[in-house]
Amino acid sequence: MQNEQEFSKAEKFWMNFKLYQLWRFIVLNVKVYTIAVQSKFH
Amino acid sequence: MAKILVIGAGFAGHTAALYLGNQLGRKHEITVMSNRDVFGYVPSWVWVGVGHMKPEQTIFKLKPVYDRMHVKFVHAAAKEIHPDASDQFVVAEEIGTGKEVRWSYDYLVIAPGPLLNFAGTPGLGPENGFTHSICSLPHAIKTRDAYLALCERMKKGEKVKIVVGTGHPGATCQGAAFEYIVNVHKDLLKKGLRDKADILWLSNEPELGDFGVNGVQIKRNGIVQKSSEFIKSVFNDHGIRYQVRTGVTKVEEGKIHWQNYEGEEGITEFDFSMLIPQFKGQPFKYIGKDGEDVSAKMVNPAGFVLVDGKYGLPYPELSQTPEAWPAQYNNPTYPNVFAAGIAFAPPGPISKPFTNKNNLLIAPAPPRTGMVSGVIGRVVAMNIVDLVKTGKMTHQERMTEMVAACIASMGDNLWDGNAVTIVMRPVVPDRKKYANEFGRDLFISHLEMGLSGAWMKFMLHYTFIWKFKGLFGWKLIPE
Repeated sequence: MQNEQEFSKAEKFWMNFKLYQLWRFIVLNVKVYTIAVQSKFH
Repeated sequence: MAKILVIGAGFAGHTAALYLGNQLGRKHEITVMSNRDVFGYVPSWVWVGVGHMKPEQTIFKLKPVYDRMHVKFVHAAAKEIHPDASDQFVVAEEIGTGKEVRWSYDYLVIAPGPLLNFAGTPGLGPENGFTHSICSLPHAIKTRDAYLALCERMKKGEKVKIVVGTGHPGATCQGAAFEYIVNVHKDLLKKGLRDKADILWLSNEPELGDFGVNGVQIKRNGIVQKSSEFIKSVFNDHGIRYQVRTGVTKVEEGKIHWQNYEGEEGITEFDFSMLIPQFKGQPFKYIGKDGEDVSAKMVNPAGFVLVDGKYGLPYPELSQTPEAWPAQYNNPTYPNVFAAGIAFAPPGPISKPFTNKNNLLIAPAPPRTGMVSGVIGRVVAMNIVDLVKTGKMTHQERMTEMVAACIASMGDNLWDGNAVTIVMRPVVPDRKKYANEFGRDLFISHLEMGLSGAWMKFMLHYTFIWKFKGLFGWKLIPE
C-alpha cells in the first residue's frame, strides 16, 4: 500500500498479472496446505 | 458396541461423522440426526446471493454419503437432550411425519449450527423483517431474487442505497458480509450499474478488518501491516463507504436504526440490505432424569454448550490467558457430551468489547465457522474414537493454537476475478507464545489480494465438496 488509504498502481498491476498470480497460487496453496495439515497431528 | 449420536450435519457435525464413520462405523453405531437431509457448502452461498451460482451446486444429499461411511442418518429435529448418566437419550421430531423419535447414546456431539436470532433485532431478517441474509440457503436465494430485482430498478435509471454488514451489536461472521459486499460491488461493475448504487459497510467491528478476531496482522519487508489498513484500501479502491463501531438496534422499512461507540443514535436509509444476525445456540431442552431442567449445567444464557474452557474472565485477563479457550470441547458435568462448531460456548470475545454511554454492548462475537468448525469436529471425533478404543482422550486444539485460512472472493471470474486471502495463526491471539503485541505468528499470518485468491476460492469449493462427500482421498484434504 502506498499509504494507509489506497493500493498503488504497481500493486494493482501485480494483482492481475496472470503469470505472477499463478506463482502466488502455487505458493499460497503450499503455505495453506502445509500449515493446515499440521493441525491433523493435534 | 458404543452408540454415538451427532446432532447436526454442517461443517462441524458432518466432519465429525466422516471421521467417526471411518474409524468406528463398522463395529459401532454412529448416527447423525439433522433437520436437513442435505449438506450445504456455506461459503459459496455468497455467490448464490448475487446470482452467480446455482443453489443446487452448493448442496448434496447426506444419506448416500453416510451409507458408504457406515453412518446411520435420522432426518429429524432434535428437541430434548437427557444427559444424566443412567438415562441418556435425545428426543426429536421426525421431519415429514412429525413422529417423535427417541435416540439413546453413549457419546453425544452437539453440532447443529447457530440459531439465527433475527428476533434479537426488531425488523431484521427476510421472514419477519426488512433485511436479507445469506446465512441459510433459502435466505441466500431470497437475497438473490431481491438483489436481481434491485438491479432491474437500477437498469431503469434509479439510484439505490445498499447496506451490508452486521445486524446486531453482538453479531459475528463479518467475513461473510465483507465477501458479500465486495461481490455486490464487482457484480454491479460488470453490469455497468455501479454508478447507480451507494454502497455502505455498516458493522459492529472496533475497526475495519477486525472480522471479530481482533484483526489480522502480517509482517512484510520488516513492516507490520494491519488488516484495518488493507480493508480500508479495498473499500477506498471500490468506492464503498464504511461505518464501524456501530450496533444496529432496530430496522424499519427502508431504515436502519443504530447506536455507535459515542452513544449517538442514527438512522441509515436503504433500498437493499444484507445484515448478519446475532447467533445463538439452538433452543434444546436439557432435562435431568427426574424431569428437572439441567440447562444451567449444559449451556450458557445464549444457549451455547459449556465445555472445557475457563468462563467468566474479564476481557483484559482473557486476552492474556490462552489456556482459557477450550481444548477438547466436552462438557465438564457430562463429559460424554461434546460440542463442535458454533455450538460451543467461547469463554469471551476475541475483539475488544465496548459498552457505550447508553449501556449498549457493542462486541463482535468470536467466529467459529468454516475451518474452525471443521477442525473442532475432527478433534471431537478423534477423542471419541480414543475413548471408545482406549478410554483416554489424546487430541486437543484450542482456538489459540488453530490456524484459519479464509478467502473472501470479489467476483467469481477465473480471468478477472479477485479475492483477499487471509491466513492467521492463531485464530485467538496467544500473547504468551508469540512475543508481539498482537499475539500472532507474523511469519505465517498472511494477507494478500489478487487473482490467485479467486482461483483458490474456486478450487476450495470443489475440493471441499469432494471431501465432504467422503470421496477417494478425502482425509488428505485438511479441514
